[in-house]
Amino acid sequence: MAPGGQAGSSGSGSPGSPREGLRDWIRSACRFAADRTDFRRNLIVNLGLFAAGVWVARNLTDIDLMPPQPVA
Amino acid sequence: MGNVLAPVLNLHRPLRREEPLTNPGSFDELHRKCKEVFPQQMEGVKLIINKALSSHFQVTHTIHMSTVGQSSYHFNTTYVGDRQLSPTETFPMLVGDIDSCGSLNAQVLHLVAERIRTKAVFQFDGELRGDDYTATLTLGNPDVLSQSVIVVAHFLQSVTSRLVLGGEMVYHRRPGEEGAIVTLAGKYMALKWVATLNIGYGGAHASYYHRASEQVQVGVELEANTRLQDTTFAFGYQLNLPQANMVFRGLLDSNWCVGGVLEKKLPPLPVTLALGAFLNHWKNRFHCGFSVIVG
Repeated sequence: MAPGGQAGSSGSGSPGSPREGLRDWIRSACRFAADRTDFRRNLIVNLGLFAAGVWVARNLTDIDLMPPQPVA
Repeated sequence: MGNVLAPVLNLHRPLRREEPLTNPGSFDELHRKCKEVFPQQMEGVKLIINKALSSHFQVTHTIHMSTVGQSSYHFNTTYVGDRQLSPTETFPMLVGDIDSCGSLNAQVLHLVAERIRTKAVFQFDGELRGDDYTATLTLGNPDVLSQSVIVVAHFLQSVTSRLVLGGEMVYHRRPGEEGAIVTLAGKYMALKWVATLNIGYGGAHASYYHRASEQVQVGVELEANTRLQDTTFAFGYQLNLPQANMVFRGLLDSNWCVGGVLEKKLPPLPVTLALGAFLNHWKNRFHCGFSVIVG
């Protein structure tokens, strides 16, 4: 079992496999997204919030805070 | 033959401007529309009494009972002259403020010529307002003996009736050290919205103001400081209800701070009551305050 186990583990752990590369990329992207002390990450997040805020502002129309009361 | 050529020649003439260019205002007021939407931080109790002693002279008493820092009393006086350019601009203007700790601030604003304004605090400010441009020069803390000075130069040009472009240069000099920072600025004004951007080596400041309706105004702001490695985002809105004599301003920002200020006039008395509360979820801090403004 041991040689087969070792062969199996060495096959999936090879550094050039695309699955490993994709996993590493996703891991580093998650680490980047969760790092609150990173300036570039905060800039990207706040740019996205700014774009969302502008979208909300431009779509806030037809709001009447004091509409006429319906006559009973 | 001359008539045949005339339509061809007309194609090379520049297009006539539909609207005349107006003065773009001052550099410090580029983001003013957006800033006015956001509520001012309030804490403790404040009483403000404004009294106009004549059409030229006004005094203001401000008593602030603070829950965070020291309580204070401010006495403010304003004198305005006879030359009125607009409802909010009268020259010369002398403003003085003294508080209970003995700090005194005073400034003089004077219209030297039709288009040249000056301001003196502990710095000298000169502004030249043309038909479609504004140029400002500020000298701060000039010290001939130690050869130190701060010079700030602004220039804004109305490129079209809606687009303003300009820049700022800050130069500072001290013994053994000098440096300059340049910032570019642009502002686009549409019928219902205004977008402004300042960008330079020190960072960027973008703001967007939108008048959604007669009752609702929204402001969105983004600031990035490369020196402090910090960015902030803020979303503010203002609700006007003149039928109820009420104005409400709300704020939400990326520092997990949520706040609001409600201002209510109490006719027929010349009194305005303001209630405000701010909550910082991240730091778990809450402070509220109210103020009464008379006059």
